[in-house]
Amino acid sequence: MSISIEHLTKRYGSFAAVDDVSIEIPSGCVFGLLGPNGAGKTTTFKCMLGMAAGSSGSVLYDGKQLTPRTFEQLAYVPERSALYEWMSADEHLEMQKRVFKRFDAKRAADLMQLFSLEPRKRVRNMSKGMRTALAVVLAFALRPEIMVLDEPTSGLDPVNQRSVLKLIIDASAQGATIILSSHQIGQVERAADHIAVLNGGKIALSGAVDDLKAGSKIVEAIFETDSIPVNGLAKDARITHVEKAGRILRVTVSSGGDAIANELSAKGAQSVRLVDLNLEDIFLSAVGGDQTADVLESV
Amino acid sequence: MPAVLTIDPRSGVPIYLQIIEQIKRSVALGILVPGEQLPTVKQLALDLTVNPNTVARAYRDLEHDEVIETAPGRGSFVRANGSTQTARAAAADVAAESLLQAVREAKSIGLTASQVRALFETALARWFPEEQ
Repeated sequence: MSISIEHLTKRYGSFAAVDDVSIEIPSGCVFGLLGPNGAGKTTTFKCMLGMAAGSSGSVLYDGKQLTPRTFEQLAYVPERSALYEWMSADEHLEMQKRVFKRFDAKRAADLMQLFSLEPRKRVRNMSKGMRTALAVVLAFALRPEIMVLDEPTSGLDPVNQRSVLKLIIDASAQGATIILSSHQIGQVERAADHIAVLNGGKIALSGAVDDLKAGSKIVEAIFETDSIPVNGLAKDARITHVEKAGRILRVTVSSGGDAIANELSAKGAQSVRLVDLNLEDIFLSAVGGDQTADVLESV
Repeated sequence: MPAVLTIDPRSGVPIYLQIIEQIKRSVALGILVPGEQLPTVKQLALDLTVNPNTVARAYRDLEHDEVIETAPGRGSFVRANGSTQTARAAAADVAAESLLQAVREAKSIGLTASQVRALFETALARWFPEEQ
């Protein structure tokens, strides 16, 4: 089932938590929503699920508004646990079974074992990781067609994180459409085929992960003197960032790395090198980069 | 298929290109033999813990490059027909990419074309001594 988020805006007073966001998620896609804390990821999810009403814009499932019928085919793992403190894991499974016809008790039991969850343990006695794992079990036991996963690996150890990734990949291979957020960019890099970066409620960057990686490069050019001819570079739409340090010029590009490398050679660079960027680098450049150095210098 | 693929998802090289390159290399080196069945998209995606659409994209490109073929309902196989040429072409692709990178690297540290050519001759002499 495809999901279209069209010009979604969610305002709280004068503050726009989500600001004119449009995202197309094709059927069978694993879509990674990245962004710093407070970027609007969770609000976007809540608007998708009808848990918050958008101020304007729409969210369509196969071109239609969210109906109770669509809701039946959907599973949500919320960022903050929506579990009941006084109930045991088993009682949560029982409740899920009563609410959702799709609930697969056998699969739930297998998943409980996979994450080494104790059926009779009460949520109040569970660690953060166990709570996340239980929420994941409840969601994946539904074998849903749509999954909205808000930080589905938070608090999990590396082994269980990998299990969640495999569950996502397995569900996707069976045709589920999945949107997930995570601060663990490495996980998104594996599981997602498309991503969007939200920053300050707006989409800062979106596309297919492999295409973003293929296009994004740093072109590093070393010149003979530190008077580097940088005129015109700022106007080039392919260039997202220019940094000059003495005789070294670093140009971050979203595409056309080879062409820009040749241009810089023609402008007299002694040495030009192309460096591949991974998703974390691309993410950081989309959200305005790493400002740690400035902070560290000021203290 | 033997577990010959190693993917580095954190590298800047797109994952589907890493899969393509490694399957071509495996065919070229005879690790994957003509007619051999490849894992399903789902199985390889789970083995490598990468997105299934990414694996499917790699398989589509490998089909287009005539390295593998897919029989509907039966799975994907290393091409039996013309597989020798395929393997040679695949090997040439892999070698060409490595050479391009090496030359780019040499240029980037300021070597001239004639210096690179001299280095290339030295390398040839080392690995093909019988042809000197």
